[in-house]
Amino acid sequence: MDRLARAFTIATLVLALSPVLAAELRPPGFRPERHRVDALVGAAVVTSPGREIKNGTIVIKEGLLTAVGAKVEVPKGARIWDMTGKTIYAGFIDPYVIHAANTLPVDTTGFIPIRAGSIVDFAGAENHSKVRHPPGSGSGIHGITPQNRLDLDLVPDPKLFKSLRSIGFTTANLAPAEGILRGTGTLVNLGDGSANEIILRRQLFQHAAFEPFDDVYPKSLMGVIAALRQTFYDMEFYRKDRDHHAKNPTTRERPEANSALEALQALRDGQRVVFEPGSSLMVERAGDFVRQFKFGSAIVACGEEWRRPELVKAAGVPFIVPLGFPNAPTLPNEDDWMQVSLDQLRRWDWAAENPAVIHKQGQAVSLTTHGLGDRKSFRKMLKRAIGRGWSENNALAALTTVPAELTGTTAMLGRIEAGKVANLTVVQGSYFNPEDELTEVWVDGRRFEIDSARKPDDEKNQKAIAGAKKKNDLHKLLASRVARHPSEDRGTLATPKAVLVKNATIWTSGPDGNLTNASMLIVDGKIRALGAKADREAKEQGNVHEIDGKGLHAAPGMIDCHSHTSILGGVNESSLPSTAMVGIRDVVNSETDNFYRQLAGGLTVANLLHGSANPIGGRNAVIKLRYGDPPSKMLFAGAPLGIKFALGENVKQSNWGDDRTTRFPQTRMGVVTFHRNRFVAARQYLERMQNYTSNGGRPVRRNLELDVLGEIIEGKRWIHCHSYRQDEMIALMRTMESFDVKIGTLQHVLEGYKIADEIAKHGAGASAFSDWWAYKFEVYDAIPYAGALMWQRGVNVSFNSDSSELARRMNMEAAKAVKYGGVPEQEALKFVTLNPAKQLRIDHLVGSLEPGKHGDFSIWTGSPLDSQSICLQTWLDGKKYFDREEAPKRSIRRREERKQLIAKAKQIATFSAGDDSKSKAARAAFFTRLWEHANNLKTVECLDCQIDGGAR
Amino acid sequence: MKTLIAIFLAASCAVYAQDEIEGRRLERDISLINRLPARYLLSGATVHTVSGESIPNGQVLVVNGKIAEVGAEVKTKVAEVIDLNGMHLYPGIVSAASMLGLVEIGAVRATRDYSEVGSYTPDVESWRAVNPDSELIPVARAGGIAYVLPVPVGGVVRGQSGLVQLGGWGIEDMTVQGPVALHVSWPSMNLRLTPKHRVSKPDDWKSPEDQDKNRKKKIKELKEFFADARAYLKAKQAAGNKWNEVPAWEAMLPYLARKKPVMVHANDIRQIKGAVEWAREEKLNLIICGARDAWRVPDLLATNGVSVVYEHVFEQPARDFDEYDSGFRAPGELVEAGVKVAITIGTGRFGASIARDHSHAAAFAAAHGMPVNEAIRSLTLYPAQMLGVDDRIGSIEVGKLATLIAVDRPLLDIRGNVKRMWIQGEKVSLESRHTKLYEKYRRRPVR
Repeated sequence: MDRLARAFTIATLVLALSPVLAAELRPPGFRPERHRVDALVGAAVVTSPGREIKNGTIVIKEGLLTAVGAKVEVPKGARIWDMTGKTIYAGFIDPYVIHAANTLPVDTTGFIPIRAGSIVDFAGAENHSKVRHPPGSGSGIHGITPQNRLDLDLVPDPKLFKSLRSIGFTTANLAPAEGILRGTGTLVNLGDGSANEIILRRQLFQHAAFEPFDDVYPKSLMGVIAALRQTFYDMEFYRKDRDHHAKNPTTRERPEANSALEALQALRDGQRVVFEPGSSLMVERAGDFVRQFKFGSAIVACGEEWRRPELVKAAGVPFIVPLGFPNAPTLPNEDDWMQVSLDQLRRWDWAAENPAVIHKQGQAVSLTTHGLGDRKSFRKMLKRAIGRGWSENNALAALTTVPAELTGTTAMLGRIEAGKVANLTVVQGSYFNPEDELTEVWVDGRRFEIDSARKPDDEKNQKAIAGAKKKNDLHKLLASRVARHPSEDRGTLATPKAVLVKNATIWTSGPDGNLTNASMLIVDGKIRALGAKADREAKEQGNVHEIDGKGLHAAPGMIDCHSHTSILGGVNESSLPSTAMVGIRDVVNSETDNFYRQLAGGLTVANLLHGSANPIGGRNAVIKLRYGDPPSKMLFAGAPLGIKFALGENVKQSNWGDDRTTRFPQTRMGVVTFHRNRFVAARQYLERMQNYTSNGGRPVRRNLELDVLGEIIEGKRWIHCHSYRQDEMIALMRTMESFDVKIGTLQHVLEGYKIADEIAKHGAGASAFSDWWAYKFEVYDAIPYAGALMWQRGVNVSFNSDSSELARRMNMEAAKAVKYGGVPEQEALKFVTLNPAKQLRIDHLVGSLEPGKHGDFSIWTGSPLDSQSICLQTWLDGKKYFDREEAPKRSIRRREERKQLIAKAKQIATFSAGDDSKSKAARAAFFTRLWEHANNLKTVECLDCQIDGGAR
Repeated sequence: MKTLIAIFLAASCAVYAQDEIEGRRLERDISLINRLPARYLLSGATVHTVSGESIPNGQVLVVNGKIAEVGAEVKTKVAEVIDLNGMHLYPGIVSAASMLGLVEIGAVRATRDYSEVGSYTPDVESWRAVNPDSELIPVARAGGIAYVLPVPVGGVVRGQSGLVQLGGWGIEDMTVQGPVALHVSWPSMNLRLTPKHRVSKPDDWKSPEDQDKNRKKKIKELKEFFADARAYLKAKQAAGNKWNEVPAWEAMLPYLARKKPVMVHANDIRQIKGAVEWAREEKLNLIICGARDAWRVPDLLATNGVSVVYEHVFEQPARDFDEYDSGFRAPGELVEAGVKVAITIGTGRFGASIARDHSHAAAFAAAHGMPVNEAIRSLTLYPAQMLGVDDRIGSIEVGKLATLIAVDRPLLDIRGNVKRMWIQGEKVSLESRHTKLYEKYRRRPVR
C-alpha cells in the first residue's frame, strides 16, 4: 500500500526530486518511515565466500551495516529479528540486466531486426531509399549510440526488481538493450526508492554487442566488427583533432561536435566496455579491441565458451556468465529425433559446465540472470552448474565479491562487513539448494519479504517423499556429462617429426612432373627431399613415419581459390556498395565440419572470400584447413592480403527483387564509375595521410575503407574479382591499370575465354568455375572449355568451388580440364594445386611437392584425376588430418555418443513431464542454432544461391 | 554470314570427329542430322549391353533404327560399317528425373516452366512444355543423355511426366511416351523447431505438437484425394456411357490401376516411410524420387519392391552424425539391399544446366561401392524399367531402339567424352552452344 500511495501522489514528485535525506520527516499522508535500526541475530552469516560466522549478529543502521560478528552487542532500541536456522549472504549483484522488454541474449542464429529505418554515411549509399540520418549529434553508423545514457530516463521497474530480489539479488547493473555500441548503464540497488535513491553508479559501463542489423550497415557480423573498429579509431581521432584545434583555434576549421565520440572519451578514464560477443569465437575479437585500444572490459559469455576454452584464457578479461542452459526437448515422434544434431545434444549436455570452464581458464566469473527465459529457474540452473565441477564458494563469489570488484563497488558491496551497504540475502537453509526457501532480502537496510511460492506443508510432504528419489536420480543424471568435447573429433591424427611416402606415383605439380615408384620425405612439416634423396635422408632421420605408397598416388594438397565454407555470421556485408572495411579474417569459423569433409577430399588451403553483393566487397582470408585450431591459427601465415570485388548482376542487384533499385550502381556503367571514384578517393586519402605523417598539421581521420583501398594502390593487397561478362572484365582491368594496379584474380571469369589474351597480358589469374552455366542470364555464354582455352592462351587458370560441397572433390574439377579441351593431365591437376597457389601468391610455400614447401599432400588409390580414385589420407604441415581408415571409427564414436545423449535426454524428459509451461523457454533454447553450425551441411555460395533460379 | 558459319563449322570437324565419320559433309543446325542407311554395323567397340555381358571388340547391327543383332561378330553382312575401334558403346543415358527443357535460365522468370499453381493438379503434363530448341538440350546430349523425364514441380499431386528423347524436329518427334508417371510431393515432415522468439514471424510460429497435427492432416488430405479418385472411377464404371468426365480424375486412373508408376518426391526418412506405407495400402507402383535418406531404410524399400531415383550423390551429408561420404555411398548400399536404383543429377537449381553430368554422379557412386554394372544400369536400364519403357530403351538388346553412345573412355571415367551418338538409329550432332562458342573464340586471332 505504501508504495502504491507514493506512486499515485503528486507529492511524490517533490520527494523524488529532492536529495535523499533519510532523516527528514515525511509530510502527512505518507506512511511514516520506520525506525531504521535492526539487529539480525542467530543466523549463520557468510561474510564472504568460505567465511561463515555461526550464530552471528548483524546490526543495521540507516542502510549501513554497523556491526557484524559472533559477539556483537545489539544496540538498545534496535528491532531484533530472530534468524535462527537461516543463512545470511551478502546481497547478490547482477552486473548485466538488460533494461527492456527484450532481454534476449545476442542472437547467434541469424538476426532479428531491432529497429526499422536506416542510417548510413558511407560511400555510394547516398541514394539508398532507406538512408536516413538519426536525429541529434552522433555516429553515422546504425547502432553506434554510445552517448545513450540509461540513467537519464531510468524508471525503476518494480516487477523487474521484484523478480531479481526473489532469487536473492539486491543490486543490478541495468544495461541498454539496443544497438551495437549501446550506451551506458546504471548500477542500482533493487529497492523501491526513486531513481535518485537507488542509483549506485551512473554510466558504469559502456555496453557493446556484436549484433548485426537486418537491412542496413552493418548487417553482418564482420560488419559489426568493422563498425566497432572504425568507431574506436574515431574515438582516438576525435580527441587528437580537438586537441589540435585547441592549440590552433584561429588557423583551422573547428572539429565536429560528436556526442557519440565525446561519450567514448570516458573509456580513457577507466570506464569499461562490456562486450556481448554472442559467439565463443568472437571472444577473440573482443579481446583484440581491448588490447588494441587499451580500455577496461568484461565479456558477457554466450554459453558456448566450453567449445574454445583457449580463447577465454587468451582474452584475459572478467566474464559475466549466464545460466540459460537449454532443457532437453520432447518430440512428437521417434523419427523426429533425426532432426536433432549431435552438436545440439552436445551443446545441451555441456551447457552447465560453462561457468566452471571459464573459471578454470583463470578468468573472474560473475553470474548474471541475463538470457534466462524464466528468472525463477536461476537457482535450479546454478545447482546444475555447481554439479559440474564448480564449488559453492566459487558460485557465491560469482554473486558477490567478484561482481563487486567488476563494478568497482567493493567498498560498498560484496561482503558482510561493518561499513558496507546493508544488502543481504536470507535463506532458510542454503542458497545452493533450490528447495530451501529464500525468505527475504535486505536492500539499503530495508527488508523485502519474499512471497513463498510453496504449497501448503502437507501437500508438499506427500509430493516430497515421492519426488525425493526422483530428484536425486535426476541430479545424478544432470551431474554427469555424456557428451565428448568437439576437439576429440578433429585435429591431427598423427604428428610425426618425419614422414616418408614410399613407392608412390607422386604428382609433384612442380618441375619434376610425375615421379613413379618414388619417395618423398617431410621433416618438421616441410618437404625435405624427393626421389632417391628422400630415401637416403630418411635413414638419417631415425624415427620416420612411413607410408607405403605401392600402387598409390600422392598429390599436392589442393587449394580452393574461392570458398565461403567457414565464415561466421554472414558471407556478405551486402548493405553498401563498398565494404572494404569489413574482413573475413575477423569471422573465420573454425568450428564447421566442412573442414573434415573437405580434408577428406584432399583439400588443404582455402581462399575465404566475402560474397559478391557489392562492387567492392570485404577483405579475404587465406586459411589452411588445420581443423581443430582456433580461427587465428588457421590463417595462412605468409599469404598476402586480398579483397573481394564483384561485377555484373549481383552488384547491380538484378536478382534481388524488384524493390532493390536505388543503390548505386544499378548498371554495368555505374560499376565502372563506382570503382574509379573509390580509387580516386583512396589516392587522395593516401596523399593526405602521407602529408600528415611527414608534415604534421591537422590530423587525418583514419578511414578503414580507404585504408584498404589504399593498400591495393600501394600493391600490398590483391583484388579477387567476381566477374562474368567479357566487357565488365575489360572495364575493370583498364580501370585498375589506370591506377597501376594489377588484379590478383578474376573469379569465375565465365567469359574470360573470350578475352584470354587481354587477361594474360594484364597478368590476372583466372579462377574459374569448371562448368557451371545458364543459371543466370550473364552465364548463358559460359562454357566448360573456358579453362582449357584460357590455359592455351597463357593465362594462369585454376578451378574453384564456391561451394562447400564441391570443395570435397576438387580433383574431379581438375579432371574436367582434361575432359573439356584436353589439357594434359599434369597441367590439369595444377588447376587445383600450383595455379591457385600462384594466384594467391603463396606458390613459394604450397601448391607443389618440392623441397622447402609445406608438407601438404594427399594419398589416392589411383590417379587423382580418375573418378574412381578415392582419397585415403590428407596431410597438412606434415601432420595427418584425415585417414579413411579412421573415418568409420570416428563416425561410430559420434553415433554412439549421440545415442547415449538421446537416451539421457529422454530419461530426463520423463522426470520433468508435466512441467511443460515452466521449462518451455529452456526447452526451446535447445533448438537455437548457432552461427558456427548454421551452415554446417549447407552449400554456401557467393550470392548466386540466393536467386530464385531453380526448382524447389 | 552463311559462309562464315560454314568456315567455322568446317573448322570444328577436326575436334569433333563425329561430324565427319561417314566422309560426308553434314548439316549442323538440327539435332537429328544424318539419315543413315536403313542398315549399318557398329563395329570394334567394347559393347556394354548393360542387360548382359559386355563384348570386347563387339558388333551391333542397326536396322531401321532398331538393334537387329549384337555379338562378337554379327551374322548379317552390310555395306555400311562404322568403325568404333577403341571406343565404348553404351545405350543412351536415361534421366529419370530432370528439369531439362522446362527451364532455360533459372534466374529469368520468363524462362521457367516447371512449377504450376495448385495443390492437386494431376492433369498437368510436363512434356507438353519442353522447349525442343532449348540451348541446354544439345549440351546434355553431348554428355550422353538421350532421354529425360521432365518433372513437374509444385503442389502435392503435381502432375504427370512423359519421357522425352533428346533429338527430333519438335516435341512430337521427341515424345517417347506420355504420360509415364504421376508425381506426388510427400508432405514435409520436418518440424520447425526454432524457438518462437527466434523466428521472423512469431505469430506464425507453431509448437511441434501443432505441427505434428498439421502434417498428419496433410497426409490425410492426400489419402482423401486418392480415395476420391477411386470413388470417381467406381461412379464412372457404374454410369456406363453417359458420363461427364473430369480431366483431373481421369488423369489419376492409370495410376490407381497400377498400370503406371507413382513417383513420390521424398527425401526425409519420415517421408519415405510414410510414402512406402501409403503405397502399400493403396497398392500403387511406387518410385521414391530424391530419396536422400533412402539408404537408412534399404530393407523397407527392398521388401516392398520400391525403386529409387537417387538425386543426392553430390550433396553434403544431411546430418552431422552421418559419415562424410554417406551421399556417395548411398546408391551402393541400396543396391546391396536389393533396391533398384536410378541415379540422376537432381531436379534442383542446376538440374537442367548440368543434366549432362549424370555419369559423373554414377561414377562417384561406383567409386564408393556401387558395382560398376549397377552404376551403368542406374543410368540406363533401371530408369527404363521403372518408367515402363524397357521394351524399347535402356540396353543394347535385339529389338530395342538403336539409341547409343560411343565414348572414348569407360562411361564412369569422367575424363572421357561421348564421341558419337545415335538416337533411334539416326546419327545425332554433339555440337552445342558450348562447342560453338569454344570454336569461335579458339579462332580469335592472338592479341
